[in-house]
Amino acid sequence: MKFPWQCDRKQQELEQELQSHLQMAANDRAERGECVDRAQQAARREFGNVELVQQVTRDQWGWRWLEELFQDLRYGARMLRKNPGFTLVAVLTLALGIGANTAIFSIVNAVLLKPLAMEDPARVVFLREQWRNAFSSVSVASFADVQRQTTSFASLSASNNASFNLTTQQAPEREGGEVATADYFATFGVQPILGRVFTSDEDKPGHAQVVVISERLWRTRLRTDSGIVGRPLRINGMPYTVVGIMPNIFDPLLNNSDFWIPEAFTAEQLADRGDHYINVVGRLKAGVSLAEAQSELNVIALRLQKEYPIDDENLGLNITPLSTVLLGDQRLALWMMLAAVGFVLLIACANIANLQLARSRTRQKEIALRAALGASPQRILRQLLTENVVLGIASGVVGVLLAFWSVAWIVAKGPAEVPRLVESRIDTTTLAFACGVTLFASLLFGLAPGLRSASTQLSQAFKEGAGTSSGSRDRVRSVLVVAEVALALILMAGAGLLVRSALLVSHLDPGFNTSNLVVGRVGLPDAGYHDPMVARHTFERIIAAAADLPGVQSAAVVSRAPLAGGGSSNGLIAEGKPLDLASLVNAQLQIVSPTYISTVQIPLKAGRDFLPQDTRDTTLVTIVNDTIARTMWPGENPIGKRFACCEPGSKGRMDPVWHEVVGVVADVRAWGLDQQIQPQFYLPIAQMPASAWDWIGRTMDVVVRTQGGPIPLNALRTTVASIAPGVPIYRVSSMQQKISGTLERSHFDTFLLAIFAGTALLLSSVGIYGALSYIVAQRTREIGIRMALGATQAQVMRDVLGYGVRLTSLGLVFGLGGALAGTRVLSSLLYGVRSTDAITFVAVSMVLTAVAFMASYLPARRAMRVDPIIALRYE
Amino acid sequence: MAPRYQNRIELLQGTLDLLILQTLQWGPQHGYGISQAIRANSGEILQVDTGSLYPALHRLEHQKWISADWKVSENKQRVRVYRLSPTGKKQLLSERSRWEQLSDAIAGVLSPAKRGGQA
Repeated sequence: MKFPWQCDRKQQELEQELQSHLQMAANDRAERGECVDRAQQAARREFGNVELVQQVTRDQWGWRWLEELFQDLRYGARMLRKNPGFTLVAVLTLALGIGANTAIFSIVNAVLLKPLAMEDPARVVFLREQWRNAFSSVSVASFADVQRQTTSFASLSASNNASFNLTTQQAPEREGGEVATADYFATFGVQPILGRVFTSDEDKPGHAQVVVISERLWRTRLRTDSGIVGRPLRINGMPYTVVGIMPNIFDPLLNNSDFWIPEAFTAEQLADRGDHYINVVGRLKAGVSLAEAQSELNVIALRLQKEYPIDDENLGLNITPLSTVLLGDQRLALWMMLAAVGFVLLIACANIANLQLARSRTRQKEIALRAALGASPQRILRQLLTENVVLGIASGVVGVLLAFWSVAWIVAKGPAEVPRLVESRIDTTTLAFACGVTLFASLLFGLAPGLRSASTQLSQAFKEGAGTSSGSRDRVRSVLVVAEVALALILMAGAGLLVRSALLVSHLDPGFNTSNLVVGRVGLPDAGYHDPMVARHTFERIIAAAADLPGVQSAAVVSRAPLAGGGSSNGLIAEGKPLDLASLVNAQLQIVSPTYISTVQIPLKAGRDFLPQDTRDTTLVTIVNDTIARTMWPGENPIGKRFACCEPGSKGRMDPVWHEVVGVVADVRAWGLDQQIQPQFYLPIAQMPASAWDWIGRTMDVVVRTQGGPIPLNALRTTVASIAPGVPIYRVSSMQQKISGTLERSHFDTFLLAIFAGTALLLSSVGIYGALSYIVAQRTREIGIRMALGATQAQVMRDVLGYGVRLTSLGLVFGLGGALAGTRVLSSLLYGVRSTDAITFVAVSMVLTAVAFMASYLPARRAMRVDPIIALRYE
Repeated sequence: MAPRYQNRIELLQGTLDLLILQTLQWGPQHGYGISQAIRANSGEILQVDTGSLYPALHRLEHQKWISADWKVSENKQRVRVYRLSPTGKKQLLSERSRWEQLSDAIAGVLSPAKRGGQA
């Protein structure tokens, strides 16, 4: 590899060498008697063309291409410096495209493409139960059966999320963790950074209690104390011995677990086929394919169906690669974003191609001159392409800077629910992507103008005046403008649909009064609160104390407040229907204090609210939402009707326990404003089945209606701590914060897409403006002649405007076609709007037409003001 | 115009290399000296074109068969002097034997009877 400075020195040496040759030849001739002048001339004639000899000799050095490349690069940089206006516009346009692509790609890379942080993630699969078309978590008994019977898995583990009150020297806090079987760690193949994971002996009931903690917990709450291994930690009031610390990268199910406790299934749990709550993850044996494992599971599922006809009647077992289960939801939106920025880049390229075409026109003579001086067409094409690459590289540098800031911004402001989003960064992979995009773009926008210029015929270039325009060139320009408009319209239609959907959602009624409502969660540990009576009394005391706080109007508890996520589904059977699966109506259960409905202010449509007198000793009562009332008893008065649910009667499974409907309340959008309303029913806390305390983990949401003002966080903390020492209240926020939290993701997607669509609109209007301005400038003479021959200003203007409108409408037609096909992928992201929504399509078309009209108007006005005298003198 | 020169280099390549190496066998020499020596030794028949000579010299240098140094000539002129390297000597031997084979072969083709008679 030689470098330019060496190149320069060697070049000088060669010149000297040839000069010395000439000198010696001349000297010889002079010695033979020729006069000095003659001798020198003759020597030179004999020598031939010094330049040429130099050139062919340099060819032998073997790096002529490099020399030419540097020459081209230097020349390219000089050309760009000489046209600062063009360069600035081109670099900014392209930097926008490259930056947006690089930024979105680094997110796609971090969220979707990077393998999960575990050993050989391709072999790790997620196992679910399948009931016809619905998937559920696995029951402990099914897990045990599969584990016993399967031969496909190297290891198979079960776990479930749980959160616990962790007490350290600081205040007690709620930490998320998992209860897991001993195989859990082996399944993912990640080693602890300190200590060990738990053994299968420790994963048995009655064994000493151990815990594996996360590096994050260790560093934040335990001050990185390496002596922690072997010492106890107070979790839910009980001592657990820390046996190991897992590294930060270990977050296999992406739920930010801070500790892991052995499942230690009891015999009773191992026989439980009714509760489907564990996550089962397995590692396939080497050589076993997904399909082979699936067919083995199908056989096992059939066996279980026969063995347990009541519980497992329609049971199926399904395995899916873990990455699909964890990241599948993210795919659509992210690929959509990448497609959107791809469009922006294409529009940017089309714009620059147009600019280059305009310039190639003015540069035609320069290029013809170079060709006349002996440059081959390939050499000229290479030169022009290099010029574009210089432009591309400059834009790439600016673009990567833009991407750097955008990624930082997206990581900071992006929706928290997108897994691995925070891992997005500009790294070697994304830089390589940026380089690829830059090169691709440079060639894309450079090739057409380059080919055009390189094939310029000498005679033609010098002959052609500035007054006429060549038709084929205009055609390429027109195609580029039409493509820009079409792409911009597709983006705008997509963004328009999302904006419309977001507007519709923001006007939806959540079903209750969300203002001045504060929610926080309280989980009572099993130790000390196992007795349902104790648990209930504790919550009742918390309600009473919270209601007495200054600034608080009323207080209540509910098993899952609206928008708090999660919930528990129960099957209801209306009285009069046969007691079998076909009659089941699945509904969400909320266990509430009698003050709940009045505190949250859900409108009571019929009947009465719960009363403190509704206890286990009296009739079991329930309040249902509108949806249940409509679907279970259509056209009838639901008050006084009964359904069975939630617990077996004293004579076993087939002995129904009836609940009488005493009230009907309005539907509440409990899972997010943009989510479907589900059947929902409420049971009073004093009548809940004792086992329900275990389902809800003795955890309830405390709901407080304040008189406005700040969230009384500290008051709530001290209140709870004074009644249940060591128990924290966590996830405290206002109901309005929770609502915006659930919409964060869709708003963010909408916001980003709207930005891209806006950029596309801006760029394509610049494109239309540029193309028409150029054409007007080219045709100045023609316009002048027409005006001299009597054309009016209005006619001229109509002509130019008409051209712009023709291009725009052609672009609109293609764009609408593309948008109709393309927006279909958005369906699942839209609420209340169809992906072919006519209003949106008409609206964005009108916006685009208006902008295009304005972009055409300015050049048209310029054309109108052409002075025929000046125009005819032009060149 | 460049392609024309390149063709000529190719045409002469094998022989010109041999002639240069052979000339340098008698001692270090600059480019002009080499061309003069070839001309004189061939009885003024072979005139080496500079457009072939210098590319050949630079190529042989690149191949490390000859090396070059700047020296001051008798006329107090800075000249670039080429000298044969050890690998160049080996190359000269093999080129010479190849040339002899070739000229034998060509001679055989030109006078087949004589060759046939010997066999």
